[in-house]
Amino acid sequence: MTSRVTVTPDPFTLIAYDAAEIGRIAQDAAALAGVAPGVDISIEVDEELFAPLVGHMSDVVEGTVVIWISGANLEDNRRPRHFSAEQARRDLTIALLRAADRLGEGFADAPPDAELTRAERAAWDAFAVGRAARLGMNVKRQAQLYDYRLQHGFSDVADAAFDRLWVADSMTFAGIREICVETGAAERAKASKIPVDLLRQR
Amino acid sequence: MKKFLAESELARDERFVRTKIEDRIFDPRGAKVAQRNTGPAKMAVDRPAAAERSRSLMHGIFVGEIQALEGAGRTCYDFTLDDAPFALKLDMARQCWDESRHCEISVKLGDHMGTEIGAYTESTFLFAAACNPDPVLRLCGVNRALEGLAIDVFNSMKEFGDESGDPILEFCEDWMLADEVTHVKMGSDWLRRLTEDDPERRERALEFQRTVDSIFNLGGFRGEDDENPIQLARRFRELAGFTDEENDSLAELARQSTEQAREMAAMATAALDQSGAGT
Repeated sequence: MTSRVTVTPDPFTLIAYDAAEIGRIAQDAAALAGVAPGVDISIEVDEELFAPLVGHMSDVVEGTVVIWISGANLEDNRRPRHFSAEQARRDLTIALLRAADRLGEGFADAPPDAELTRAERAAWDAFAVGRAARLGMNVKRQAQLYDYRLQHGFSDVADAAFDRLWVADSMTFAGIREICVETGAAERAKASKIPVDLLRQR
Repeated sequence: MKKFLAESELARDERFVRTKIEDRIFDPRGAKVAQRNTGPAKMAVDRPAAAERSRSLMHGIFVGEIQALEGAGRTCYDFTLDDAPFALKLDMARQCWDESRHCEISVKLGDHMGTEIGAYTESTFLFAAACNPDPVLRLCGVNRALEGLAIDVFNSMKEFGDESGDPILEFCEDWMLADEVTHVKMGSDWLRRLTEDDPERRERALEFQRTVDSIFNLGGFRGEDDENPIQLARRFRELAGFTDEENDSLAELARQSTEQAREMAAMATAALDQSGAGT
């Protein structure tokens, strides 16, 4: 049994992306990420957004994996308005690794992505992208470290925690929160009034 | 060696991919995004896609530094000593040295942020300002308009480094900012010296500068409001020889440019909706 994947919009009207191709890539990525067979996956691509307005969110709603992803994540940086299958495979794998986390016990208590703090999200991403690297995805460790440092600080303590997240094979949401306390990000995060899902809002 | 090199003839290796600014302007998604709230324009860690936006801008700065180096280099070579005095060429040679260093610093800052040369496209419209056949107009376009923009960009990046607690970004941008102030000052000084007895030529040069400035405002990219990602750095501009009147005039130009961009986005969205696309 495989996962049933639905991709919207279908067809795309602002950019020449192919929903069927994205669906096939997502199906492979789901298997790679360890999403249990039979779990349905719904993917919404925001075709209005372009590079560098990247972002994706992974939630589980009534047993269905719900992914929202910016069109920028699927766009070839070197050829604007062109689809990059490699980038799509990488970013959908990362999104589905986080969805698979949510389907397990360790992240059962994690709030929806729209309610995560930026620091929690950055730490969770580091854990997901580290695993994506080991699955053979073409990810950039330094880019991920920079994303993470913007939320956790440019310090030895933060970097040491990043190293642990990057190589970890298992993690819990409680573990993510402990890291946010350790780096001091838990306190800093309270200052922002900008919603973390702002790009998703229309 | 050929004089007055065209934009299309700039030498690049296979890592660089060139795009035209029109490609972005006529992208139908631009109008849609302009109608949405994508977060504060000013760079900040809680801005959506903060890291990727920084990397993209850093790459833009890097290719801008290459073009500034090429522009200053061409000014050393394109003109005779009758048109451009030796001391001016010496200043441009010094600027080449600075810009080369800025290229190297920008590459290292790209490494620091996790990107690399050629990860994003290059638009060469900055170099276009360095193609004017009159050295005074070229100096105004490059050293006052382009390098003036560099002051604004570096100051904004320096503030972002400070706010995000990134000492590497903050210090690198601060050092480069100091050089840019010098470059603008060179432009201001040479404009005054070369047009001392020719007010008409000075006015033509300043008009050319205003044209380049309005292009560099890039539909709201630079200004003094919260919706402008790059803020006008008045204090540093003052140190570089810009008068209060010139700064006020540039701010007004930036406001007009932001307003024009808003109107164009609204019109483009209406046209898209009418044609059925994007529904």
